Amino acid sequence: MSFLHLSFYSAFTLSSLGLAFHRTHLVSALLCLESMMLAMYITLSVWPIENQAASFTLMPVLMLSFSACEAGTGLAMLVASTRTHGSDHLHNLNLLQC
Amino acid sequence: MTYFMFFLGVCFVLGGLAVASNPSPYYGVIGLVLGSVVGCGWLLSLGASFVSLVLFMVYLGGMLVVFVYSVSLAADPFPGAWGDWRVVGYGGGFLLVLVVGVTVGGPLECWELGAVTVDSGGVFSVRLDFSGVAMFYSYGVGMFLVAGWGLLLTLFVVLELVRGLSRGAIRAV
Repeated sequence: MSFLHLSFYSAFTLSSLGLAFHRTHLVSALLCLESMMLAMYITLSVWPIENQAASFTLMPVLMLSFSACEAGTGLAMLVASTRTHGSDHLHNLNLLQC
Repeated sequence: MTYFMFFLGVCFVLGGLAVASNPSPYYGVIGLVLGSVVGCGWLLSLGASFVSLVLFMVYLGGMLVVFVYSVSLAADPFPGAWGDWRVVGYGGGFLLVLVVGVTVGGPLECWELGAVTVDSGGVFSVRLDFSGVAMFYSYGVGMFLVAGWGLLLTLFVVLELVRGLSRGAIRAV
């Protein structure tokens, strides 16, 4: 695996581990999601440079616009949770607890 | 130049580590800013200046600013600090990820860089990423309109999400 690929792979996997093992705050999980999107953006940008194919440069820009939608929706849920429970602590989201 | 790119690659992974192992969301935002600045510099050193500046403006200047405001809304007034067992745990996980990646890819090949710049492929009068993204207006116009419609729809989604159960009354925060 070349060094670039190893670097993207490590950053993406670390961020997804951070998303899986989130602890207290909802916004930490959203930040890990954003970091995954950043690693994916850079990977999708380097791929047309490696293959010298110009038309695939559309893909990272399109992905960024959809990830902006997703970040906005996640932050709206964060604000809704903070306005309901007073904080964004994850133990407040316990409706499905048995 | 190669060593500079190695350094940027290492800093990118350290930014990801900082986001994953943050003791408080303030430090996670620092890690994300570091990661996006370094990633931008990395794309610039490969020659892809357009996608790098799109990343800077849209991601760092748009999305991260909104994240910083939301973190100031939602995080603790007295945050923790680094130097905790969590960072050690994530450091161990990172080493595991790295070992698996080097073992799968072959320990001799991981020191090559693996990419060429946008100038080295022949005679270009227009750069690779400029001409690629310009296809949004010619062949990719369908996806362009779908993405624009999705962004408009997101505004209404956000409006409905923060309206709340009591139909928009002012609540505690």
